Amino acid sequence: MAALVLPAGLLVLLLLGAPMALMARYSFNTYDPLYLMQEAFTWANYTKAVTDEFYRDILFTTLWVSLLSTFITTLLAFGPAYWLARMESSWKSKLTILTLFPLLVGGVVRSAGYIALLGNEGAINAALRGLGLISHPIAMLYTPFAVVVGIVGVVLPYMVLTLAAVIEGIPRQAEEAAANLGARPSTVFFRVLLPLSLPGVLAGATLVFILCMNAYATPVLLGGPKFHMMAPAVYDQFTRVSNWPFGAALAFILLVVTILMTSIGSLLIGRRARPA
Amino acid sequence: MTDTFRLTRRALLAAGAGAALTPAFSASRLMAAEANEVVVGTWGGDFGNTLKMAVDDAIMKPMGYTVLQEISGPVPRRTKILAERMNRRGSLDVACLADFDTYAASAVGALADVTRERVPNSAHVLPFLRKSYAIPQIYSAHTIVYNKEMIPTPPASIQELWNPKYKGKIGLSDFLYTTNMAYAAMANGGSMSDFGPAKKGLEAWKALDAKVLASTEAVGAALKSGEIWMTIIAAARGYMWSQQGIPVGWSIAEEGAFPTTYEACVPKNARNLDGGFVYLNAMLDPSAQTAFSKKMGYLPTVTNAKLDPDLEKLIGFTEAQQQRLWTPDLSYIMKNQAQLLDTWNRDFKG
Repeated sequence: MAALVLPAGLLVLLLLGAPMALMARYSFNTYDPLYLMQEAFTWANYTKAVTDEFYRDILFTTLWVSLLSTFITTLLAFGPAYWLARMESSWKSKLTILTLFPLLVGGVVRSAGYIALLGNEGAINAALRGLGLISHPIAMLYTPFAVVVGIVGVVLPYMVLTLAAVIEGIPRQAEEAAANLGARPSTVFFRVLLPLSLPGVLAGATLVFILCMNAYATPVLLGGPKFHMMAPAVYDQFTRVSNWPFGAALAFILLVVTILMTSIGSLLIGRRARPA
Repeated sequence: MTDTFRLTRRALLAAGAGAALTPAFSASRLMAAEANEVVVGTWGGDFGNTLKMAVDDAIMKPMGYTVLQEISGPVPRRTKILAERMNRRGSLDVACLADFDTYAASAVGALADVTRERVPNSAHVLPFLRKSYAIPQIYSAHTIVYNKEMIPTPPASIQELWNPKYKGKIGLSDFLYTTNMAYAAMANGGSMSDFGPAKKGLEAWKALDAKVLASTEAVGAALKSGEIWMTIIAAARGYMWSQQGIPVGWSIAEEGAFPTTYEACVPKNARNLDGGFVYLNAMLDPSAQTAFSKKMGYLPTVTNAKLDPDLEKLIGFTEAQQQRLWTPDLSYIMKNQAQLLDTWNRDFKG
């Protein structure tokens, strides 16, 4: 059986482990504008990223955007996921494919659509002006609002499908039994359905949170040049100033914080999800 | 009749000789192919297309060369040259880069010398653009580009970029942070070797609600829609936009403007060093030079390329304007690039 894991394991080791090990080593080097970097072993890049208020703010922005997007996505996804999971008609497979449909459009193309929608001359402002509700455009594009809307649009299908898969595994009789015993629909949801679907919420939220933390195209295109998140900051260091050591340090800080946050989430939700 | 295969001594020798010759034959074919193949690292879009049309197809192809364009951003291209400099063979034969990038590559000894023997057309290069490690392909200057309908009088001073009456109407390209900071430095007592005073200019721009636009195209769109009235960008770009019907003009202020030169170089470890120099020579050919002027509004870098007088009037610099162009301290920019971006991000965009 172990032999079956070997090809995939080797591939991951080669294509993921090796570059990451290399980047980890680079993160301890020092930046040199002439030779790109000098070999060293210093924590200076990490210290700068953690102590510098500017980069701390970027990490903080990344965290709150990711947490808010994950929360909104979970709220929005539960209804459609439940509906999809309990559906028995032949439409179920078609709707599942439709849920996946947004993923067929690339992130950049989707963001271009949001630009056309949210811009000062975009569809929403044009409609509001046409209706005489506003005289000046409402600034939506290049705001945190646009970034959260864009990210939620990207990650929503992942959450819907993950939740639907878990809800499908919850026997319908459990809900019916609670209702027969006099529980109101809200009680059925909070006391039966939600606790039983927590493993799905946890899996979906983890997946979505990781995607949000590493979002690149949406913050760049919808947040504009003044909005900073970690993935574009890492990219900036590598491609605009060739500061590989600091870029690598920022990337590892992003990785560690993402792992920490998902672990904390797993601990908190996982404990509630465990059967009594 | 039997199907038994009998290997005679003669057949064995013939097969052995054939097998031995195959790699040599393949290698010689590969070398021949390499000698006729030139890999050019370049920008895509209008730049890459004009290069293909005016240099690759018009000059190199008739000479029997196949040109492969490797399209990427300038920093990855520069990084590739720096990272590969210790390798026996690099991946690029020619790299198109801005002047500060070729300077950085030459500072670590990664570029081959450009001589008149290797690049005969370099004899015609304008003296103030001449370098020993690269050829200047095209040049212009980052000037004040303004909407002529909103600002009928061309801005005469760089201080106009901080004029309170343009509050909320100044737009700056995020991509051109070095140039923007050069202007901010010069307006506040700095110099080409000291961008420190730029901080004051950045703070003043912030107070004036200056907009940061993510791309050159976004700057053009903002000028067109009236969202911004003034920016700092290449005069060549101003010309291109005016050709597209956007009512813009460009002005070299009395204090001067930041020149922008795009160069091309051959890495020392290029696989096809000779082909690379043939390509540089083709880039300096008057026909290629004028093609770039017509298409992109950049000025020729050689004395023997004559522009149409009408075009010259639209994109050319007078002697006096030429004299006012600043001389960038490329060493200062190279050493402080990371710091400049950091200041731009913190003090202006932050």
